[in-house]
Amino acid sequence: MNIIETQNLTKSYGKFTAVSEINLHVPKGTVYGFLGPNGAGKSTAMKMFLGLTKPTGGAFVINGKQFPGDRVQILKEVGSFIEAPAFYGNLTGEENLDIIRRILGLPKSSVSEALEIVGLTQYRKRLAKKYSLGMKQRLGLAGALIGKPPILILDEPTNGLDPVGIHEIRALIRSLPQQFECTVFVSSHLLSEIELMADNIGILNHGRLLFEGTLDTLKSSAASMGYPTDNLEDTFFALIDADNRQRGGVR
Amino acid sequence: MSFGLELRKVKRTGFLPAFLGGGILAAAVPVLNMAFRSEIYVGINAAPVNILLNANWQIMSMFNILLVVVGACIMYNTEYAEGAIQKMCTLPTKESTMFFGKIAVLIAVSILLLLIETISVFGCSVHWFEVSADLYMETLKSFGFFLLLMLPTVFCALLIASLSKNMWIGLGIGVMCVFAATMIPSQNFVLTLFPFALPFQTLENHTADVIRNYAAAGAVETVLIALLEIMILKVRRSFE
Repeated sequence: MNIIETQNLTKSYGKFTAVSEINLHVPKGTVYGFLGPNGAGKSTAMKMFLGLTKPTGGAFVINGKQFPGDRVQILKEVGSFIEAPAFYGNLTGEENLDIIRRILGLPKSSVSEALEIVGLTQYRKRLAKKYSLGMKQRLGLAGALIGKPPILILDEPTNGLDPVGIHEIRALIRSLPQQFECTVFVSSHLLSEIELMADNIGILNHGRLLFEGTLDTLKSSAASMGYPTDNLEDTFFALIDADNRQRGGVR
Repeated sequence: MSFGLELRKVKRTGFLPAFLGGGILAAAVPVLNMAFRSEIYVGINAAPVNILLNANWQIMSMFNILLVVVGACIMYNTEYAEGAIQKMCTLPTKESTMFFGKIAVLIAVSILLLLIETISVFGCSVHWFEVSADLYMETLKSFGFFLLLMLPTVFCALLIASLSKNMWIGLGIGVMCVFAATMIPSQNFVLTLFPFALPFQTLENHTADVIRNYAAAGAVETVLIALLEIMILKVRRSFE
């Protein structure tokens, strides 16, 4: 069963099309890696799922609920982290999460749980604006994880983290479907990262979905098209490059 | 719930101290005026509240409007500075709910502001003038009128602050509106309906009909600005 499904989802800004008629299928209880170079349209697609921007065409369903009619219901079930950590700099980490908790109507204990999951418990009383970039990133993740929502939409969640932090967050994301029975929709521009986390992947380039399926399917279809398959990074680059050439050298 | 949330969000921003300090500063105006040149006013044959407001309300209301503009900018700056507003928009709440929560906070602190000033005017009346039986009622009526005419200013200041991610743009526009309002001739009814000019009006200087017109205009402007903000919030999402 697919928990997120899009039908020809499109977003245009004037003549520029950021997302072009994509049809995504995100199976329930899995980690779905949304892959693409910078500017491919990953964040725009994610923003549409969260109602931050209106689609100019197509539709999508999240957990059986249709946008925009069920927007509030959808947002109750989705924890998200988009582009960069967003927080109130004048409040502590704990106070930031408490605001989210109150809006979601969660018990008080959910704040300390979320802080514990991301390893920020000892810094909970520090002002968020005084956090390091990695700590801000973790606070953003805590804001997405609070209340253990059934769906998580994470846009490049390891940006700004040190290698240890990247490893921890990757392991956390990988464990979430088993731990909290949730579905994770995570974006990255690094195939190596997605490879370590995702069950299924979708590759986006210039707003178009080039591939969707498992990593094994990617390998076999790449092989059938004559692309290198020894290294998935090379497969990804070959796919993107072929698409760019087909589009007339646009990079 | 929205009121409590919005109040929490302005923690450590200097929002409440600004209103408290500003209120005390505005309240000091009639006290200082009377302390240094009471002889000009005590001989005037009019109600004490009338005399005091005629002498001091222009400067007091200017303080009030500037504080409302600054307060509105502080409130939206906490949302925009670190992108918190984006997180709020991904939660099951409406952006308009947030706007009206901020309105409620700004109205509450405006009441506090007017209360401090009313106490000051009342105190001056008692100290420097003969207290008449209707002093309490006169003071309360003036307080209510000021609060009503302050509503369009509160709504308009927050609307302006909500439009720009850069606090200085909102603050600049707000301050320009305040100074434009001070240049509007108070005799011209239509021009004084400018949301930032309304709080300069006093109850004592108008007939019952004009007061009714101001009250109605204040209410209509408040509703119109609220509707405009809701519309802006809906339209803005299409361009983001």
